[in-house]
Amino acid sequence: MSTEFQLENGIFAGVDVGSLGTKSVVLRGTEIVGKVIIPSRLNSEEGGQEALDLVLEDAGLTRADVDFIVSTGYGRISATYANKTVTEITCHAKGANFLHPNVRTILDIGGQDCKAIRVDENGAVADFAMNDKCAAGTGRFLEVMANVFKVPLSELGDLSLRATQAIPMSSTCTVFVESEVISLLARGENPANIIAGIHQAIANRVGGLFARVGIESEVYFSGGVAKNIGMKRAIEKALKVTVAEPRFDPQLTGALGAAALARAFAAKENLAREAAI
Amino acid sequence: MPTTLNTLRKIRQAVDNRPAEIDDLKAAGAKVVGWINYNVPEELILALDLVPVRLGRGGDDHLVEHGSRWISTKNCVYVREIVGLFAENEDPYVKATDLVAVDATCMQVFRAGEVVQHYFNKRIAILGVPRNFATPEGGEYFRHELKHFAGKLEEFAGRKLTRSALADAIGLLRGIRSGLDELYTWQAADDALIAWEEVLDVVQAGNVLDRRQYIVLLRELLSELQEKQATDEIRDKFQDVRIFISGSIIPPGDRKIIHILEDLGARIVGDDIWSGLAPQLDVDVVEPTVEAIADAYLGRVPHGALPYLDLASDRRLANLGKLLERFQAHGVVYHTLRYCDPYTFKGTETKTVLQNKGIPFLELHTEYASSDQEAIRTRAEAFVEMVRNRNLIEA
Repeated sequence: MSTEFQLENGIFAGVDVGSLGTKSVVLRGTEIVGKVIIPSRLNSEEGGQEALDLVLEDAGLTRADVDFIVSTGYGRISATYANKTVTEITCHAKGANFLHPNVRTILDIGGQDCKAIRVDENGAVADFAMNDKCAAGTGRFLEVMANVFKVPLSELGDLSLRATQAIPMSSTCTVFVESEVISLLARGENPANIIAGIHQAIANRVGGLFARVGIESEVYFSGGVAKNIGMKRAIEKALKVTVAEPRFDPQLTGALGAAALARAFAAKENLAREAAI
Repeated sequence: MPTTLNTLRKIRQAVDNRPAEIDDLKAAGAKVVGWINYNVPEELILALDLVPVRLGRGGDDHLVEHGSRWISTKNCVYVREIVGLFAENEDPYVKATDLVAVDATCMQVFRAGEVVQHYFNKRIAILGVPRNFATPEGGEYFRHELKHFAGKLEEFAGRKLTRSALADAIGLLRGIRSGLDELYTWQAADDALIAWEEVLDVVQAGNVLDRRQYIVLLRELLSELQEKQATDEIRDKFQDVRIFISGSIIPPGDRKIIHILEDLGARIVGDDIWSGLAPQLDVDVVEPTVEAIADAYLGRVPHGALPYLDLASDRRLANLGKLLERFQAHGVVYHTLRYCDPYTFKGTETKTVLQNKGIPFLELHTEYASSDQEAIRTRAEAFVEMVRNRNLIEA
């Protein structure tokens, strides 16, 4: 931890330990100076430490340079390296606001859950809804589907855009859809049409979350699944909204929000320290 | 907050001793009425010199699985656990029960009563409940049903209800309810010496303890609070996020969401759940008759299973608003058990009404299994962060 704190040039790190990926972002003041994504490890503490070391290396910094660290994601509970832990809901809201200050509605689809979040003009959460505890409609779901089609996860979205029609799925349950897809393939259906149907099923499910929190403004789509162009299109169609063009890797939104919050917390602590003096 | 109240320890001790006491009472010829649901008037049970115990526990997934062998898994976990308790037959109060009294308020609990009668050969008395308490026809039906139910209890007790016995029982329960109401006021104070969870324990101790012993303990607890308050004893400053709990039942044994919220630094300051404050409110029995008891129960805030089709006249929502004001809550955690349709279906309308008043609302939809523990924690934590942030801005 650096001894002299400067808000404008201070170093603030965010670490987002997700179920599939561990992400980290470093800010110098408000400038992004480092970012990293690594696969999550079995030990979330070690994964977080590793991501932090790598992101600091990316930024040409050391641990001693960092003023404040916020951890988030499911692995935030085991984050001895962090000064503070914050939920991923708050971090995604802050990260989205950092990148797109006018956006009031956020969709985050991560590895094991998805969230609809409404934010105020300061990036504070006004309302949110999360999916149920199963993997339906999440990154894990798409990963299982990519395995069924024997294609890399990153190609699933492009494949869906080649569809001539979307074949409706009868459920969003990962296990049931996997069986359904295998049956459809056996029947000779066009794989692109099936993949488009899978994307549509997820988008419809996401629509249920937004029914609970409402939609204001264009939607900012964060999380790893936001990189999937097919998913983006399916969301736009199902929700009848425009999805904002990302100004930064959407998978890093949570880590970025954590870093932005680290800056805010450091400023608050510094004020308290000065007041005490 | 650490417990420093001697009377709380005494109440816990009394609860521990109660199964043995009931065994002794039964050996001496007493009969135990185990009741489930919401609208069984204990006044009648007490006036017939029967021993009332409110049955039902929560939080035990093993018992839920056990109960699921006899009742559909499309019933909530609380209902399935009730059946599991009877199937296992190890709970001292279930074992001691000679007659199961069940009212037809929540139809899932009512169904559990039927299952218990059918599969476990328990004697059962059923109290019919109108779907709409507010109509004259509903009122007439309930008065008639309660007379019939009282007749069944008389037959079971082998004696008749008398005005003086009814007057005693009504007075006793009136005293208990007003004592509990007062206790809720104590726990909501800024510098309270008693936490909401402790009050919930006290309420639920009243499900099983001898009601005459219970009212003495309750008065002692209130006196102790008054004395300790006056001595200005050093106490913990309470947390900044005041949460009100609404929705499905939180029975003894189920502390999942309570402990998650407390671990997060939130402070629960009130509830309107039917295992907490709700049954203590608005019971005004004006004379010692069965009919007057029926009228008093008709006047209570209805259980979620009884529909209100018009939001403007919904007494549950009006009561919720009143309690939020009384307890100065910053936000509402609306707890729903999976397949608890009465409360789950009301979640959206309750959220809309509260959000229009600027009150943050979070629904936590869960069951007794621990598989969603962390997912629930994340939602609860984000909600606490949201409320705390609002409080900071408003300050």
